[in-house]
Amino acid sequence: MMANPSLILPPPFEQAIGPYERDLMRFMLRMTGNRDDAMELFQEMCLRAYRAYPRLADVGEIRPWLYRIAVNLCRNRARDNARRARVIVDSSANHREPAVDDSSGSQDLGAIRALIAALPYKQREALTMRKISGLGYEQIAQALGCSVEGARANVSQALKKLKAEWNQL
Amino acid sequence: MSSRHSLEQYFSDADVSDETLDQLLRQARQKLEPNMRFIRRREAAVGITHSPFGPLLVAVGPNGLLMVRYLHVQSTSGGIAILRLKFDPVEDERVAEQVGDQIRRFLAGQHDALGYRADLSLVAGEFQRRALEQLAEVPCGAIVTYHALAATIGAPNAQRAVGSAMAANPIPIYVPCHRVVRSDGVIGHYGGGTRCKVELLRAEGFAIDKSLKIPADAVCGHRQTRIFCRTDCAAARRADPARMLIFASPRSALEAGMRACKLCHPT
Repeated sequence: MMANPSLILPPPFEQAIGPYERDLMRFMLRMTGNRDDAMELFQEMCLRAYRAYPRLADVGEIRPWLYRIAVNLCRNRARDNARRARVIVDSSANHREPAVDDSSGSQDLGAIRALIAALPYKQREALTMRKISGLGYEQIAQALGCSVEGARANVSQALKKLKAEWNQL
Repeated sequence: MSSRHSLEQYFSDADVSDETLDQLLRQARQKLEPNMRFIRRREAAVGITHSPFGPLLVAVGPNGLLMVRYLHVQSTSGGIAILRLKFDPVEDERVAEQVGDQIRRFLAGQHDALGYRADLSLVAGEFQRRALEQLAEVPCGAIVTYHALAATIGAPNAQRAVGSAMAANPIPIYVPCHRVVRSDGVIGHYGGGTRCKVELLRAEGFAIDKSLKIPADAVCGHRQTRIFCRTDCAAARRADPARMLIFASPRSALEAGMRACKLCHPT
């Protein structure tokens, strides 16, 4: 096919996912709201991503692809949690560590957190990816499986809503 | 505090410090490792080597040679994609060079040069696997027809399917799909191009000329009775095609430990 073909191997999985691990963990912390869930989902995401890694055609696109897996896992978890409320047997044993270091957060931040948690789920995902993880709209669109315009709209509506509600407080 | 200011602050502030994140990641990885063990793919050494046929993509796994791919007709990326489904590729030019060296020596006439064990992990189908496994029973210096190979694996009408299986052979040269020819005596197609097939067969003692036919003095030998006949011998035609091998000449059949038929006197 070529006179002198060169061998271009995709990077090993750990190396490919490495630069995004922190961002993904942060995203999951925001979406699940507690550390145990975030850690569990992170592991699940790694397993799924590793298994599907050979089918990822373009490793350059791995970031939105990982987010797509993360988004799906978070959605599933949110749905499961909504379906069956957790049975709290022992409140001390089941105490879930909050996702954030509350010591540093002021009351304002707590209020914003509550407002964000009340956003429609898709808007919250788009907003978190845009503002926390710093993904571009095209990548958000890939991760959410929607159009770029849709991603843009979700983020801007979320921001609009947040600002309006914040001003009302 | 203005809304803009505090929202921006919220987003710019890393809610969770990097240290906490790293700690969480460490914990997650620790718990992950035992589970990853179950699904981790084995590693395969991959490299490109050069042969008289042009560049070859070579992959060697823990159980033997996985892939030899003719890069003058097929793409590197396609081979890597197939390999990655079952193995994690690691670049290793040294291993590729070993394979390349064996192939070069083989083509120079050293018939025991192909030292690597073939690992058929990358073969997709059960039928194809059976065909390739049976093909390994055809020794160097002998060939079979597509029809005969089909009969050997218990599907006597599946010569076309056998052809497809040979075309999909992930390890040409080592799994000798060049040793399968058409029943009319023409050598037929080859994944790396007919020229490769001619050269491989020549290296194994078949004098193939421009007509692309197997030599006129080829004889067929029976695997069980160890008797070889002319191709037009009545006894040979009655025999089970699944058991027939074709040799380049009476001499090579004798070398393979067979005796001449007493009806057709092939010598």
